[in-house]
Amino acid sequence: MTIDQLFRFDNLSIFVSIFIVFFSVITIIYSLGFMRKEKRLISYYLYLILTLLVSMAAVFANNLILFVIFWGFLGLLLYLLIGFGDKKRTQATAKKAFIIIGGTDAFMLFGIALIWVMTGTFKMDGLNIALNSKAAILAYLCLAAGAFAKAGAMPFHTWVPDTAEDAPTPVTAFLPASLDKLLGIYFLARISLYIFKMNFAMNTFLMVIGSVSIVAAVMMALVQHDLKRLLGYHAVSQVGYMVLGIGTGNPIGIAGGLFHMLNNAIYKSGLFLSGGAVEKRTGTTNLDKLGGLAKMMPITFIAFLIASLAISGVPPFNGFASKWMIYQGIIETAKNGNHLWFIWLVAAMFGSALTLASFMKLIHAVFLGQPFDEVRSAQNPIREVGPTMWIPMVTLAGLCVLFGVLVYRVPLKMFILPAIGEPVSFIGSWWAAPATILLVAGIIIGIIIYLLGKAVKPRETEIFVGGERVSDVPEMRLSGTEFYNTIQEIGILKFIYELANKKFFDIYEVGSKLTFGFNGFLRYLHNGVLPTYLAWCLLGMMVLFFILLR
Amino acid sequence: MTQTTALNIIPLFVVIPLTGSFLISILGRRFKALPDLLGFFATLGSLLAAIAAVWAINSYGTLVYSVGAWKAPIGIAMVLDGLSVFMLVVVNLIASAVCVFSINYMEHYTSKWKFYTLFLLMVAGMNGVVITGDIFNLFVFLEIASVASYALVAFGTEKHELEAAFKYAVMGTVASLFILLGIVFLYSFTSTLNMADMASVLAGGKSANIILMVSVLFLMGFGFKSALVPFHAWLPDAHPSAPAPISAMLSGVLIKSLGIYALIRIFYNIFGITAEISSILMFLGALSMVIGVFLAIGQWDLKRLLAYHSISQIGYVILGLGLGTPLGILGGLFHLFNHSVFKSLLFLNSGAIEYETGTRQLKEMGGLIHKMPVTGTTNLIASMAIAGIPPFNGFFSKLIIIIAVVQAQRYGYAFWAVLASVLTLASFLKVMKYAFFGELKKKWEKIQGVPAFMKISMISLAIICVIGGVLIIPTAREMFLDRAVDVISNGSNYASVVLKAIM
Repeated sequence: MTIDQLFRFDNLSIFVSIFIVFFSVITIIYSLGFMRKEKRLISYYLYLILTLLVSMAAVFANNLILFVIFWGFLGLLLYLLIGFGDKKRTQATAKKAFIIIGGTDAFMLFGIALIWVMTGTFKMDGLNIALNSKAAILAYLCLAAGAFAKAGAMPFHTWVPDTAEDAPTPVTAFLPASLDKLLGIYFLARISLYIFKMNFAMNTFLMVIGSVSIVAAVMMALVQHDLKRLLGYHAVSQVGYMVLGIGTGNPIGIAGGLFHMLNNAIYKSGLFLSGGAVEKRTGTTNLDKLGGLAKMMPITFIAFLIASLAISGVPPFNGFASKWMIYQGIIETAKNGNHLWFIWLVAAMFGSALTLASFMKLIHAVFLGQPFDEVRSAQNPIREVGPTMWIPMVTLAGLCVLFGVLVYRVPLKMFILPAIGEPVSFIGSWWAAPATILLVAGIIIGIIIYLLGKAVKPRETEIFVGGERVSDVPEMRLSGTEFYNTIQEIGILKFIYELANKKFFDIYEVGSKLTFGFNGFLRYLHNGVLPTYLAWCLLGMMVLFFILLR
Repeated sequence: MTQTTALNIIPLFVVIPLTGSFLISILGRRFKALPDLLGFFATLGSLLAAIAAVWAINSYGTLVYSVGAWKAPIGIAMVLDGLSVFMLVVVNLIASAVCVFSINYMEHYTSKWKFYTLFLLMVAGMNGVVITGDIFNLFVFLEIASVASYALVAFGTEKHELEAAFKYAVMGTVASLFILLGIVFLYSFTSTLNMADMASVLAGGKSANIILMVSVLFLMGFGFKSALVPFHAWLPDAHPSAPAPISAMLSGVLIKSLGIYALIRIFYNIFGITAEISSILMFLGALSMVIGVFLAIGQWDLKRLLAYHSISQIGYVILGLGLGTPLGILGGLFHLFNHSVFKSLLFLNSGAIEYETGTRQLKEMGGLIHKMPVTGTTNLIASMAIAGIPPFNGFFSKLIIIIAVVQAQRYGYAFWAVLASVLTLASFLKVMKYAFFGELKKKWEKIQGVPAFMKISMISLAIICVIGGVLIIPTAREMFLDRAVDVISNGSNYASVVLKAIM
């Protein structure tokens, strides 16, 4: 067996691996500041570096067995890394994440076995399986389940919000937010573009998964009370765009999906890292207790603002560029007689609008608004985090701008288009640079008008209601967390939210209920009475007699 | 080593542990250090002999030793072929690891010498079952091992231990009786007790209903010994009640050498496998696999949870072996090897926990990895191995089994195998969560580290879990696993090969 049969270096894997290294470096730098006072740091950094190496190996693997070895080991590393958190539910979350990921990995083995039986090879290049038999479809679904679980698409998404809440922030920024997205979508692209020949039905299936992920997760995000958990739901929602993009099946949509994968990794880890900075300084991520941090932590605020504009798809940031490509891909599917394109488009745009809405709430609750008393009167006044923490944040925010403004010249030309390998035709062009100039001009004019207004010297004072200053009356304070709570009261949505709160859509909770139900029944049968057990033996023997001697 | 020397290795597998057992029983009470030393050297000697035997069959092929120079089929023959060498390595490897562990662990029981006497007797019985070529002799060794294990389950002499041992003894005796009945029928039908001779008689004659009846008796009897559902109910009582090293032996090797080995030897080599038996084995395997894991996941007693997992993992082995394709057999045997390593390691870990904290209840533990880092790490490794997480050994054998099952177009079984694997992962993450991770409970703050010999034993088994995957690298596989696979997949050659080796 030569090295060629085991590893392969094509543009797609090289592109993904470059960013794996990039995010690992970012995370390690950030951890130097964030994790400074934690215990067991040697194992922490060991696991981080192992994750880096194993992910690289997984991306370059050209043999399905080899791939699944590395891929499965990543699940274990994720489990161990989440375990560094010190929240009360951390261990339960680590367990849940690993059961979902490890479980789908087991199904991947099934898929790989099916591929081997169908084609007689484990080599990944050169495979081109048509989805026309049950075995092929089953194999695709098994492998896709692994990719979905890793990336956090529905219905295997439930570990992502939990992990976001309970794991140490650098770990969340590193794994669920960036690396697992890169790997999961890389593998989805690998199986959808290279290993299998997609057909209409399977593409539609992907687009359904994508659209549902986008809308459902963002609806959950709207009503969260925890900064990191809210971001976790957005991590799920954004995966929907990538799956949708790959599901379109045309070059522009796929390019958009991959580009969105990259962009999402950038701004989502930026968001988590800024969120971590807030957590580091205030000691909480509860939105009810935060507020007014913009003045105290300006760098964090700017980084967070840029990343949240990017995730909401506001031009000229990178999130807009990739969403725009995905929209074009969806419209493109109409040409193949796909009449459902309208639904996907609406889902994607609606999701984008809700994303913006929930980030309005988030920014208000964390950085604007009134500071909470406990936060304000803390012993040490809250100040900006140290450079090992803000340098990664600023780098990521800078990339958000860079990839948005120079969209064709840098990311698309250097990474995405070579990875696709097909010519991509843009049906609606977006001149990023001129648009940026116009936008910047608009903003500058706005600032000038604001400054002119200030020049008149109006009287500034604190906010007060009914003659009393708001800061004196804590219950008058608006935290912003309640912004969208009313949507939980609307007809059918009320019902869905109630089910969601009962964890009805959580595949893990449903699975464990079923398992323990069956377990209860079996334990009832095993009553420890000797004659019963002997009777089973005899009964078993009688059945065997009947089968063999009838 | 010449062929004669190689032949002289064969009886050592019974002689060494039996002598050790005898010497300990008469001298052990007087010399305190003797049981430990003799136990260790007897199992180590057997292990070295087993490794020498691997080399011997690679040089000389199947070897037959005639006991007392009486030629078979009149005398008793001992047959050393690929399958028995494989089993001997497994049994003696685990036995030596367990022996090292017992040096410290058995300190908190009285009369250590009785323990070692019974322990070596059990090892002698298992080695005998594996090495013998005579079916009545197989029964005798099976009873030696079984009776020793009944006594060892009761070794703690607490109430629940005695109860478990009583149940185990009663049910085990019933199963043994059915096995004996089967042997009687077989003897009356073929007029011989030598297994190779019996196989050639059966191959020549027409198939008779009596063979089917004997098949049922053996399926029940040996199925009981290997704890296949629905003959499994003794196991979750008996295995947890024994002292931890014995639990490791029972789950790790006893159910395999008395149960699976005997089933495979008889159905593949003596009767010749039929499609019906094959599907029955696969069905029972899949049933045990699923029922076992569903029972395990809800347990809060650590050792009981592990015991139920033995049922489930045995299901995988039987599923692979019952499939009958070379790939399936390879997967089954490899899983057998892996399971004995990681399951005995898990039981030893549970023993280490019980040694330090005195409890087996998961809910009472918590955060123990802070105080017992070695145990925590080895337990994590073994848990990942049993759950089939790469790159640990269990992953490779499960992968081979799943591929083999899919290759045979048995998609349903493949699905259940995958599902059982997911639930296995879930239940071992539960163990890790409740026992080792999280906050250290106040009452465990004063516990000491685990003694050195226990650590050595656990670490060496953990190393095998980590590097166990190398056994499927072609060169290593040809030496060890493929020899055993050949014996099973060319099952009907057994008679001619052995009879030729006798001449």
